[in-house]
Amino acid sequence: MRHFLIMTAFATLAAVVFGAVAKDSNHERVVYALKVFAEFMVIGLVLAWILYFIPY
Amino acid sequence: MSKANRERTDVDKAPARAWLMGTAAWLVPGLGHLLQGKWGRALLLGGAVWFCFIFGFMMGGHLFKYDASEQGVSALLQIPPMVGNLGTGLLYIVCWLMGFGFSHDIQQAALPTFEYGWTFLIVAGLLNYLSMLDAFDIAAGRKS
Repeated sequence: MRHFLIMTAFATLAAVVFGAVAKDSNHERVVYALKVFAEFMVIGLVLAWILYFIPY
Repeated sequence: MSKANRERTDVDKAPARAWLMGTAAWLVPGLGHLLQGKWGRALLLGGAVWFCFIFGFMMGGHLFKYDASEQGVSALLQIPPMVGNLGTGLLYIVCWLMGFGFSHDIQQAALPTFEYGWTFLIVAGLLNYLSMLDAFDIAAGRKS
């Protein structure tokens, strides 16, 4: 659970910064930040499952 | 005019104020936007960097620095993470001057969050580089 929370914190912080520095309007920024957050979370979970089956 | 030439001209035209704001943003996370009256963005960007930095230490992380006493590749391997850490500006410099946060004991290294800690510290610096470029672009009139 701790690892998931840390990953969530990381995704949130990165998404906030990426969203704030990108795009032109506030609406676009929010959408972009949410997209970045979702991408970090989904890719993190997918990688975790892939690595789970690798015994090294 | 080619794209490369146009970009070069844009850089040449960047006013001194843009460099000042970029430097301020690097030195103190959030300050570059704050000085330009971008309160919301200063709070978001500065807050994220500060939080990332403090959270990194809370998780048992440590900062990197070039250590000439280490041999060959081992010393060179300290440089990339050090460049990342340097992005936090004064936070890194103050820690360096005070000798705080550069070493870790066995108990600290045994923490389950130890690796996360130094990763957060590096990412804090990298995020601040983005924030610094944003402050520079705003001051140069390339962004609103």
